Amino acid sequence: MCWLAAGLLACRRDQSPRSAYVVDALAILGIALFTVFIAALWDALSRPPLRTMGETRLWYAMFTVLAGYVTYRRWHYPWLLFLSAIVATAFTVINLLKPEIHSIALMPALQSFLFIPHVIIYIIAYTLFGVATLAAGVLLVRRRKGGDHAAHQELLAFIDNLVHIGFGFLALGLLLGAVWAKEAWGHYWSWDPKETLAFMTGAAYLVYIHLRHQGRKDNLVIWTLPVAFLLLLLSWFGTALFPGSSLHLYS
Amino acid sequence: MHGSSLLNDLKYPPKGGYSFPMTRKLWQFPWGYPESTLFVASLALVGFLLQLTVGHFDVGFLHAPANLIAFAILIGLILLGVRFQNTLLVRWVSGIPMAVTLTAAVVLVGLCMELTPQLSRLPSQAPANLELGSRLGFRMVTSSWPFVLLYGMTLIALGIATFKRLFRFSRQDITFLCNHLGLWMLLVSAGFGAADMMRVVMHVQSGETEWRVFDKDGEALELPIAITLKKFTMEEYPPNLTIMDGQAARDPQPSQPKGKSQPKSKQGFFQIDPKRPKGQIGDWAITLDDYLHTAVRIDGEYRVSPMPESTPAAKVTARNLLTGETKTAWVSSGGNVPEFFSAIPLDDRYVLVMTQPEPKRYASDVTIIPKDGSPIDAILEVNKPVSVGNWMIYQYGYETALGKMSPWSEMELVYDPWLLPAKISMGLMAIGALLMVWNGTGKRKSASNELERIPFHRNPRHRVLARRRPACLPS
Repeated sequence: MCWLAAGLLACRRDQSPRSAYVVDALAILGIALFTVFIAALWDALSRPPLRTMGETRLWYAMFTVLAGYVTYRRWHYPWLLFLSAIVATAFTVINLLKPEIHSIALMPALQSFLFIPHVIIYIIAYTLFGVATLAAGVLLVRRRKGGDHAAHQELLAFIDNLVHIGFGFLALGLLLGAVWAKEAWGHYWSWDPKETLAFMTGAAYLVYIHLRHQGRKDNLVIWTLPVAFLLLLLSWFGTALFPGSSLHLYS
Repeated sequence: MHGSSLLNDLKYPPKGGYSFPMTRKLWQFPWGYPESTLFVASLALVGFLLQLTVGHFDVGFLHAPANLIAFAILIGLILLGVRFQNTLLVRWVSGIPMAVTLTAAVVLVGLCMELTPQLSRLPSQAPANLELGSRLGFRMVTSSWPFVLLYGMTLIALGIATFKRLFRFSRQDITFLCNHLGLWMLLVSAGFGAADMMRVVMHVQSGETEWRVFDKDGEALELPIAITLKKFTMEEYPPNLTIMDGQAARDPQPSQPKGKSQPKSKQGFFQIDPKRPKGQIGDWAITLDDYLHTAVRIDGEYRVSPMPESTPAAKVTARNLLTGETKTAWVSSGGNVPEFFSAIPLDDRYVLVMTQPEPKRYASDVTIIPKDGSPIDAILEVNKPVSVGNWMIYQYGYETALGKMSPWSEMELVYDPWLLPAKISMGLMAIGALLMVWNGTGKRKSASNELERIPFHRNPRHRVLARRRPACLPS
């Protein structure tokens, strides 16, 4: 497993076309090794290793790299592969250092096969939106300084792409959550504070997407991205800040 | 061809286009953001006035068949919109400025719901006695008039935008259609379905059959489904060990230690796991010598027993890392029997106690008997509901104080005849989302740069819109 981490980190450093094959080979090997490990664990436990937080982290690590790799192959964003490798490595290291987490209780409502994809897909969306927000900041600063118009356009096109892909993931996360909610809580939508915030986040990104489809590219449009990201952060960490109880608070 | 005078005024733009002045006045066609904002704001204002005068929007009013009639009216309006889609008014209703304004309004509505705790049922007091926030509908946004009006407007605007493209189907529009049609259908099913939906909790004693549910006044409602509870079962995780203040642990109900885990600076729990017998809490090294998940206490010793009252018990050695003092004894949470409780005094103040085990899985072994249909044997479990027709039946609750000995179980029964369209629409949205992930903006890097420089109405990317736009519109 450490192997995988080292390999993926190394693959980031050389970006010459020749080393692209090395990157592919390392990434696929890492994912394959991880899959074999999970399969072995599954066999050893004689139940799917989906019950505890530690086990969840294993899947999380694998899917993060897998998603990072697929996105990298599709869109040629090497930083995404790099970032996903770091996140996956961090989770793997936590699991290696604290193996006792493998046996902590998981409340029955969380014991669903939808738990992991629901969370992972959101994290991917958050990553993409995070990068889009950073890029939006860069664009706003560059525009203030003036400079190359074509470069600005290219950056804007890059942001658009990130926001579209990110929104796709966000929508998938919401839909998986809805399916899970129907299984666990009786209705696919119940205006839980976290749901409401996620809904607002999605709506804010929809505002951006529609404004851009209209062809608008003024600074006001770019400013919707940091605002949307603020809502995203609130939905991620800030649910406890608001009155009203949420089913999404566990600890 | 064009019925009303308003539509006559707004008929197809003449060849060569209208000659719009460069600076457009408010309410001068084509309408854009200012008009959309004013319109949506007035819609909300009308909503607030309705809220103050007639009170909350009663969802029950839309109970079938009223919701079907409302749905037919909605479809009629949308088809009318599609029929007159080239008029400037309809273009404004179904255009991007309106979409953006409504979506931004959704964010504001969400903010209202986030900042005021939402009530799950209408306040029973007379409206005049309530504070202004409640009277304006802030405490229950989803049944307030402004919310309902915005919802309706969204259904109309989104519906026209979707159906006009649906009727002019083109493969390029597939992502658009999946996302927009999916969302529209989901909003329809969730909105109109809310009136028909019924959620009730049925309380069934072990070994008995129940078909009624009771509201808080004790009024019974008979359901078309009866449930026999054959057995309620529960599996538990092995409990934790922790250190507590002895005074708190010796409270009148020793089976439920209420104190806080100690020491406060480094609260610690030792997760019992026979595979990992060694651990540490605070300054104490803990060794698990023996663990019995179902034990009873006989003469100070614990023995394995299949009795339903049995409790987890552990034989533990605790060694103080500073003084070297060692204590070995049994510790048990006692389960439901106070006499089975046992703690290990560590010093004058602190004791080592066992927490109540947490449920790992609980299930009801039931027979479901629909009024017309054959009985179904099922095991209801959290996350594993059973559907019977338009009903879904969930494991809901049990007597938490008694845990696995609970003599009853509660099932939630949810009736939603609009679930199928909701599921289809979620499938459509999922396809749309996957297409978005795969295609991004759908533009290649090099091509997009060139396209960006072309003025909006001549941009081939917007050619469908541009064709219907007055030629002289300022870009």
